[in-house]
Amino acid sequence: MTLISALNNIHIKGLFGDHEGKDEKNLIGISETKNLLIVQIAQYKNSSTSNENIKIDNLNLENEALNVSNNTNTRILWSGPNNWILTATKKEILKEVKEKLDEANFAITDLSHSRAIIELEGESAKEVLKKGCPYNFNELKKNNCLNSTFNGMSIMVDVLNDNPYKVRVFTLRSFGESLYHSITDSCLEFGYKSI
Amino acid sequence: MLHIKCPHCGMRSQNEFSYGGDASVKRPKLNQEISDQDWDNFVYNRKSLRGKHLELWHHLSGCRQWIKVERDTSTHEIFRTMKANEDNS
Repeated sequence: MTLISALNNIHIKGLFGDHEGKDEKNLIGISETKNLLIVQIAQYKNSSTSNENIKIDNLNLENEALNVSNNTNTRILWSGPNNWILTATKKEILKEVKEKLDEANFAITDLSHSRAIIELEGESAKEVLKKGCPYNFNELKKNNCLNSTFNGMSIMVDVLNDNPYKVRVFTLRSFGESLYHSITDSCLEFGYKSI
Repeated sequence: MLHIKCPHCGMRSQNEFSYGGDASVKRPKLNQEISDQDWDNFVYNRKSLRGKHLELWHHLSGCRQWIKVERDTSTHEIFRTMKANEDNS
């Protein structure tokens, strides 16, 4: 968890791009998500433990592509076979993760300080993502996640809601500013509200 | 641009992958004497075949798994993809 913003130097609040004469509600909303616990959970290849009975914050580790198990506080994103990214608003979850997943079978890495998170809201956000990412975002529904690239930068997309459309885009903290510039440039034609 | 069906994630763009070379190359067996030529063949020498080719690809910006892809090097048609530990036959 970190309160130190990865986008502090560039994220300026206000209206930008082609926003004149448009209702603010129809603009793309861009905000930075901070203070989120991000934990990578990787099950070792030689692990014989079944993860069916493991529940973290009452959520299963599901080995299904694009799937996100979620409740109000915690989201477990599928990142690859036997590999998940857990995001949570409560940092106590890390303790629960370490208790329930033993060191002999799982590698647990706290990535909270090493990611920048940009949250996009609004129907046009989907079009913005399509500009830089080769995936067909029409197929990505609520509570789906995706590892892909945006203008060459590796990203992870988590669809929080589809009406109104709301996504979180994770990238390496060092790529945060470049990704922010890339996304805001793509937003200009739609007009965006930086929150 | 190619579209490659990752056996773990589904159909994805080539942009997410990184080419990993010939998947049919086999490492010489351990604890066996091999000639310098055989070692060179394993490490460096590759045939640049025209036609069906079994390749390794790394889903670098996706699930980060290595996969095998059977592709025609002249038409770029992809016939099948499989997990790295799956048998080619």
